[in-house]
Amino acid sequence: MGRYVVRRLLQMIPVFIGATLLIFLMVNVMGDPIAGLCGERRCDPATAARLEHEFGLDEPVWQQYLTYMGNVFTGDFGTAFNGQEVTELMSTAFPVTIRLTLIAILFEVVIGVTLGVVTGLRRGRPVDTGVLLFTLVVISVPTFVTGLLLQLLLGVKWGWIRPSVSSEAPFDELILPGLVLASVSLAYVTRLTRTSIAENRRSDYVRTAVAKGLPRHRVVVRHLLRNSLIPVVTFIGADIGFLMGGAIVTERIFNIHGVGYQLYQGILRQNTQTVVGFVTVLVLVFLVANLVVDLLYAVLDPRIRYA
Amino acid sequence: MLLEVRDLHVEFHTRDGVAKAVNGVGYRVDEGETLAVLGESGSGKSVTAQAIMGILDVPPGRVTGGEVVFQGRDLLTLKEDERRRIRGAEMAMIFQDALSSLNPVLTVGDQLGEMFTVHRGMSRKQARAEAVELMDRVRIPAARERVGQYPHQFSGGMRQRIMIAMALALEPALIIADEPTTALDVTVQAQVMELLAELRREYRMGLVLITHDLGVVADVADRIAVMYAGRIVESAPVHDIYKAPAHPYTRGLLDSIPRLDRKGQELYAIKGLPPNLMSIPPGCAFHPRCPLARDVCRTDEPPLYQVSATRGSACHFWRECLDD
Amino acid sequence: MPNQYHEAERAIAGTGMGGTMDLGVDEAETLGKRPGPDGGGPQEPPRSLWSDAWRDLRRNPVFIVSALVICFLVLISLWPSAIASGSPLTCDLSKAQQGSQSGHPFGFDGQGCDVYTRTVYGARTSVAVGVLATLGVTVLGSVLGALAGFFGGVWDSVLSRITDVFFAIPVVLGGLVLLSVITSNTIWPVIGFIVLLGWPQISRIARGAVITAKQNDYVQAARALGASHSRLVLRHIAPNAVAPVIVVATIALGTYIALEATLSYLGVGLKPPSVSWGIDISAASPYIRNAPHALLWPSGALAITVLAFIMLGDAVRDALDPKLR
Repeated sequence: MGRYVVRRLLQMIPVFIGATLLIFLMVNVMGDPIAGLCGERRCDPATAARLEHEFGLDEPVWQQYLTYMGNVFTGDFGTAFNGQEVTELMSTAFPVTIRLTLIAILFEVVIGVTLGVVTGLRRGRPVDTGVLLFTLVVISVPTFVTGLLLQLLLGVKWGWIRPSVSSEAPFDELILPGLVLASVSLAYVTRLTRTSIAENRRSDYVRTAVAKGLPRHRVVVRHLLRNSLIPVVTFIGADIGFLMGGAIVTERIFNIHGVGYQLYQGILRQNTQTVVGFVTVLVLVFLVANLVVDLLYAVLDPRIRYA
Repeated sequence: MLLEVRDLHVEFHTRDGVAKAVNGVGYRVDEGETLAVLGESGSGKSVTAQAIMGILDVPPGRVTGGEVVFQGRDLLTLKEDERRRIRGAEMAMIFQDALSSLNPVLTVGDQLGEMFTVHRGMSRKQARAEAVELMDRVRIPAARERVGQYPHQFSGGMRQRIMIAMALALEPALIIADEPTTALDVTVQAQVMELLAELRREYRMGLVLITHDLGVVADVADRIAVMYAGRIVESAPVHDIYKAPAHPYTRGLLDSIPRLDRKGQELYAIKGLPPNLMSIPPGCAFHPRCPLARDVCRTDEPPLYQVSATRGSACHFWRECLDD
Repeated sequence: MPNQYHEAERAIAGTGMGGTMDLGVDEAETLGKRPGPDGGGPQEPPRSLWSDAWRDLRRNPVFIVSALVICFLVLISLWPSAIASGSPLTCDLSKAQQGSQSGHPFGFDGQGCDVYTRTVYGARTSVAVGVLATLGVTVLGSVLGALAGFFGGVWDSVLSRITDVFFAIPVVLGGLVLLSVITSNTIWPVIGFIVLLGWPQISRIARGAVITAKQNDYVQAARALGASHSRLVLRHIAPNAVAPVIVVATIALGTYIALEATLSYLGVGLKPPSVSWGIDISAASPYIRNAPHALLWPSGALAITVLAFIMLGDAVRDALDPKLR
């Protein structure tokens, strides 16, 4: 197990470097890192040269990348052009997005798994067909449409919630945004659980459990669910990274000042340091979440042994 | 009498039509008796067993008629909860593929112990001790150490012993073994079969042994029921059948066993294939493959003729078959 | 939109699609050569996986409805003027935010443009982006995936790592970063971006299908008989990879349309004067209280379009997957 973790950690390094380098190149080479510094106008050549030198932008790109990563590993994510430390931005943005993600995951587990189990056990019945069609609709309607529509209905028309979230973003204001963020994953969790349950329901060991004379709830919970939820748990685990990176749209709709909001602002204002810093952290979160999922597999399924 | 199946009918409703898997099967098993149910795959022998146990997949499967009388009660009229209490405790089943039939994510100790916690209300600790004793009884070495292991950590033969232990756990009156040795290596097959026969004698249980392997049957069975297309075509004490089969299908099965004294001769094989259960031929279902078939076989379905007090054959020409 | 097409891929992989599809393909090979599965019964004509699937699909209302919707979309993309007489760019500010009226069933948006005409013309953009991006992704992904699966070794490891890198970048984020610096008004940057981030999804499937196919006995036999590499790939392996790739590509087409709309909504996808549902939805969202119709019509059109493609892919997958029968 230990050796496996080490191997996986080593495998993560090239992926981490590749992904961050890609983003770094996109931002620094394709974009114009100093464009945001002179307000609406383009900088005059002299100022531009001075600024480029000041930020080390006249060095070769690979050297800029190395310097940047070196700083990152000492905890220095640089300073945004408005003088704010990127780490400071992160310390206000990440807690908000983490809360949002937690709510989203909660929705996936509670609603997604429940619907999946119910439909998996009643395959082919009207409930099943109905839920299945509903998940397809949820998957198909882009999140920004779902979000805008729910905001229109619940926030504007019926006035059940505040249409936009205050800057403290407490849990209760994040419930609807969390549902919107979760919606697509939730539909996938439902479908995945359903397929998994329906497949395992016909398995030999479930038949054995019935033949042993176990009560139905015991057959379902102890024998069927335990096996069927292995892929679901790993899906949800891997989803953490995706949700945090995908919160841009949700955060924009509900005006939530989280990671996605900062990133969006950073990109629009060509704030290189902010963008690269946040993306680096997101990629790390994604990679670590995937590693944890792999290890979780071994815990949940005794047949898997990592050497 | 321990178990009597009377005129059992089972259908499967699929998208392509209705498959008639079991069409009026009847057989009986007395206390301590071993009945071997023989037949090719698709003959309905496993489906009959599942209907007896009450573990048919419903839907698509459906019992459309008949009785399953077990210890004086017709199981088909019982409520699901009453049937559940009988399953595992009064009658138990051993499946063919122990690897897929055991739950991969639970330890064998948990899976064996579950019988005691659920049916006998024992504590987990007591159940664990019972599980170890069971494993000892089916001669799994180092039972105490291995009780916490998972099915995939055992060999094929050991896993089948665990299946047997699970069936024996509550000392049921009847065990149904569905091809218990088919998935095993030949050498292990003999050991497992021997163990099963021995434990059956020890506990004086009735045994329904479902198999397509005539070699296994001769040693352990008291009676044989041969199934074809969801019906019993011949039913007789084991030595009668080996001496002289009273149905051409049984004869075909016997002739297709390789024998040392017929070395060098071409091995006999029944021509054709088993019928499609969606469209079983009219008359005798076996007639398209039967060497003795005549016009009457194409139109009239033969009843189970009484050959002797203990013997029946569903062939219009059982006398000819016997004389051959 | 949390990375719809990554999630689609994960969910599909999670439901055992790779494996099942391969099973289906194996079955197609054998079913075609054997007489019916019940040899003893009345002789049925031999059925292949494809004709079996087609027989299923024709009876599936989900398939019929989604196929009709897609046909309709393709037709109005090709000839939008057939059902919308005006131009999507002719706007009259004096009519801004007005509701439905005669000749203008969907009303007007914030700029006074006719919502009906813009919604009809939006289909052209969406279908064009979806189809072209899917073509690009499929070609690039299949070729790279097949090469990795066929040659294995270093090729395979390198490709796997590159795939991992692309999967580690959230799609919307990548789109924002990459497309925010591009000022082109055409649909090509968006298509290029989708191809760039989309190919690993197809390449994984193609790779898996090729590896499975390569292990089949008949491929081993062909190899032993001295068949050349290109012949092996084209005659024996490619047909097996086709079914899973088609299914995933169909579903992906729907998600690409959604992705384009999302990027346009965020202001980095297509830019005016392009006509896109995403742009219209984004433009309408500030007037959500006064003129919800300007938001609802393009949203509805977008949702139905994406839904049609995803349902079509779903129906095709169910039909091709014998395990679900």
